[in-house]
Amino acid sequence: MWHIAKRELYDNLNSLRFALTAVLLLALMLTNAMMHLREHPGRMQAYHSGVAGHQNRLTSNANESLYKLAEQGPGYLNKKPSPLRFCAEGGETFLPRGVSGSYHRWGGRDGLESFWILGYPPVTPNLRNISPDVTKIDWGFIIGYVLSLVALLFTFDAISGERESGTLRLMLANSVPRHTALMGKFLGALISITIPFALAMLVNLLVISTAKDVHLNTEAWGRLGIICLIALLYTCLFLALGLLVSARVQRSAVSLVVLLLIWIVFVVFTPNTLASIVGGFSSPMSSDEFEERSSQLEDELEGELLFKYYLHPKDTREDMIKRIQLGGEYVTEDAAQQERLHETLLKQQISQMRRVRAAIRLSPVTIVQSLFESFAGTGFERHLQFLENVQSYAREFRTFIVDTDRADPESLHIFGIQVGMSQKSVAPEAVPKFEDTLSFNKDFNTAAVDLLLLTLFVIVLLSGAYLAFVRVEV
Amino acid sequence: MLTTLIRRELLDNLMTFRFAAAVFIMLLLVVANTVVLIKDYEKRLVDYNTALKTHRQQLREDITYSSGELKVDRPPNPLSIFNVGFDKRLGNEVTVSHRYVPTLWDAGKHGSTNSFMGMFAAIDVVFIFEAILSLLALIFAYDALAGEYERGTLRLVLTHAVRRGYILLAKYMSAMLCLLVPLLMSLLLAVILLTTATSISLNTDDFLRIGGIVLTSVVYLSVFYLIGMLISVATRRTGTALMLSMFAWGFLVLVYPNVILAVVPRSEAPKARAASAYNQIEQMWEEFDRERKQFLKNDAFPGENTDFNLMGSGGYSSGSFHRSSSILRYFYIKPVFMKRLKEDAESRVPHAQNYYGFLGPRVTDTAEKTWLIRKPALEEILVQPTNVEGVWLKLSPVGLYDAATQAWAGTDLKGIRDFFEAAREYRQQMVDHFYNTKVFESQQWFTGDKGTPDWDSLPQFAFQRVDVDTNAKRALTDVCLLLMINIALFIIIFLIFVKSEV
Repeated sequence: MWHIAKRELYDNLNSLRFALTAVLLLALMLTNAMMHLREHPGRMQAYHSGVAGHQNRLTSNANESLYKLAEQGPGYLNKKPSPLRFCAEGGETFLPRGVSGSYHRWGGRDGLESFWILGYPPVTPNLRNISPDVTKIDWGFIIGYVLSLVALLFTFDAISGERESGTLRLMLANSVPRHTALMGKFLGALISITIPFALAMLVNLLVISTAKDVHLNTEAWGRLGIICLIALLYTCLFLALGLLVSARVQRSAVSLVVLLLIWIVFVVFTPNTLASIVGGFSSPMSSDEFEERSSQLEDELEGELLFKYYLHPKDTREDMIKRIQLGGEYVTEDAAQQERLHETLLKQQISQMRRVRAAIRLSPVTIVQSLFESFAGTGFERHLQFLENVQSYAREFRTFIVDTDRADPESLHIFGIQVGMSQKSVAPEAVPKFEDTLSFNKDFNTAAVDLLLLTLFVIVLLSGAYLAFVRVEV
Repeated sequence: MLTTLIRRELLDNLMTFRFAAAVFIMLLLVVANTVVLIKDYEKRLVDYNTALKTHRQQLREDITYSSGELKVDRPPNPLSIFNVGFDKRLGNEVTVSHRYVPTLWDAGKHGSTNSFMGMFAAIDVVFIFEAILSLLALIFAYDALAGEYERGTLRLVLTHAVRRGYILLAKYMSAMLCLLVPLLMSLLLAVILLTTATSISLNTDDFLRIGGIVLTSVVYLSVFYLIGMLISVATRRTGTALMLSMFAWGFLVLVYPNVILAVVPRSEAPKARAASAYNQIEQMWEEFDRERKQFLKNDAFPGENTDFNLMGSGGYSSGSFHRSSSILRYFYIKPVFMKRLKEDAESRVPHAQNYYGFLGPRVTDTAEKTWLIRKPALEEILVQPTNVEGVWLKLSPVGLYDAATQAWAGTDLKGIRDFFEAAREYRQQMVDHFYNTKVFESQQWFTGDKGTPDWDSLPQFAFQRVDVDTNAKRALTDVCLLLMINIALFIIIFLIFVKSEV
């Protein structure tokens, strides 16, 4: 088997396709590294200044009073950019960079101030962008599109070419079992693709890791290792496909045509076409609808509580306290229902995306890209994880406010209104601060299904290639 | 002689597996995608109609002129099915007001929003042609000459008294005829699907535009066939030719359009230009604000209160400047909305009318004055860098083809900007109407006490896409460039082939 693999390898190393592949991959990987070095420092800077803004806001509000802290909220909560974004862009430009935790729909209203809520502002990077549409060059693109094409170009004539030139008969005349011959060819092609790919990847990593702005820690290197293994698995998939078609088809030209058509349909068209088909099934509420529902809720609550607050007598102390309670109830209820509305919209959007992402798993390129995303810590799943972090932080923050207020004997413990809450300043260190984290465990869970799916594809195609090759007549 | 050659080549090509596969795949993809695209178009059309209705409704609810927001909406372009261009992603509703001159960058978006869905690229008919037709052309071409060299049939043919140019021409024409079959069949099916969809009505101009797209597609196809032929004649071996063709395809279609913009550095010069223009605009508005304050100081009403102590129960009156320096937008907005006037307000109303009668024209004039600065500055800082990027992209035939078809479909940047040009004209009409009917100094400007504003007497906004001549003019350069590439390639192939030894 190693004999055959070695022969294949030598054959390939001298060929034109090997040279072209090496040049192409090197150029792409260098571009990728350059782009990352150009953009990443800016992203990190924006993140750090965002975090500093959030902490300053908390400190200054905490120094003022607990009420101020409770009313103003934590401010904009930033998502930590991944240092491995060059591996998978994951549509990050279409994902918000954070969540807003400060929302003022209305200002002072007779002693009432609206409370903060978690809002999910959308990003529309393309609304004003008149630049031409281009795909970002990340590893996902290089491996998903270019490397898969190259893998097909390396295998389309592996068997049919030998049959055409008659060397296959010669080879099988020796006492070589067919499966050994097939494995030899497979390994030979795999190694000859791995060489230029590994070279380009190493150059890419060398450029990125030697730059002073980017720091990759041990965990990041571990993730990179996994990403490389996935890339190899994905390459195997296309090599197996190439061998399968090459064994089934008599002429290598026909084999190439078949392979290219399969490649185009599954890699280029399936993801986007399926996305627009499945995306059309459901439509989240439009911004007009959202505004309408928001103001409708506000009006209802106004009629229910705000007027009671306005009209409530202020004569006795009991009346005053009752009035404060009404005011506080109005503010907290308003914030709660607006936050629920925001969450409803977000949930609709997420469920639409989930459905689309499940449907496009039909295409191997989507599987590999979402695998890359989960190991690089970018993309949609990562965004959901970030949202979870934010929501648990919001709960923590609110509990902190309640507990601190309870500890103050002078407070009336009526939330939502200035006179009802503690006026004392809070120690800024005690206030919970938001820090975004990336957990590897969760990443692996989302990736496991994809990984299994990819392995399944490879096994099915390889056994298909074996069956086809065994039954072939030389 | 030529016809014999063509017939031979044609039969050779038509009977192949690759031809059948080409036709099948093209039809499948084009039909599937056209159905999806038509659905998408219909959805956008519904969104557009809903937006029209909502905006009209909202305008009715505004009880004063100054708080009214007149919005105009851009209808989706039915030809975006062929090349979506900027049709889906740029803003499709813009507020028309006397306060500023609307541009593409002031526009918002109506319709259901899920910004996450922006991740998925839109596939249109032109993209299918771009990717698959070019591949098919290369697959047809790689063995056109190399195959004959290898098999030795070329020597056989040349023993007859046939000119070499004829052989080339015959090969080219027959292959193009073959490639036209999947192209025309799939386009015809797409057009049939379009005409059967009830929501889409195509007029004669639209069919001419589609004709333009077909023409451009043929020229594009021919470029790739000639590239394949060039490789074939230069390498003389089918294996090498095939490899080179595939890599050429990958490079031109997949790699170059995505890589080039990342490699080309963007100039930093516009930033300084933007800052200076913004400063100029800011100064103009400050000047306006000084004049405004001066007026308040000098008028008969004591104090600088712009309420004139009129507000009864309910309403608002707040003036503020809105700024966004990245798009050089700066304007003063003062919506006044008084549900009821105070009981004794009668005597003070003329003061308010006097003030708003002064303010409205001043805001309008300042907006127009700043527009004179904003327009060239926007052109320089936002449009020109994009044009440079466009030139880089057009170094590959794919970019040329994309630009040309966008121009035909009217979904290119110019086509979208036509809408905003119309919105600006409409703004002028609106301002004229305000002047003519003395809206600024009317009571309806700030109060709903004396009846609601009569928006219906305004001229209606109507946007017509430019006629097909303009589309043709916009597409002409790119189509000509594609043609020139064709001719140059053919000449090179001819020269190599004539000089080559058989």
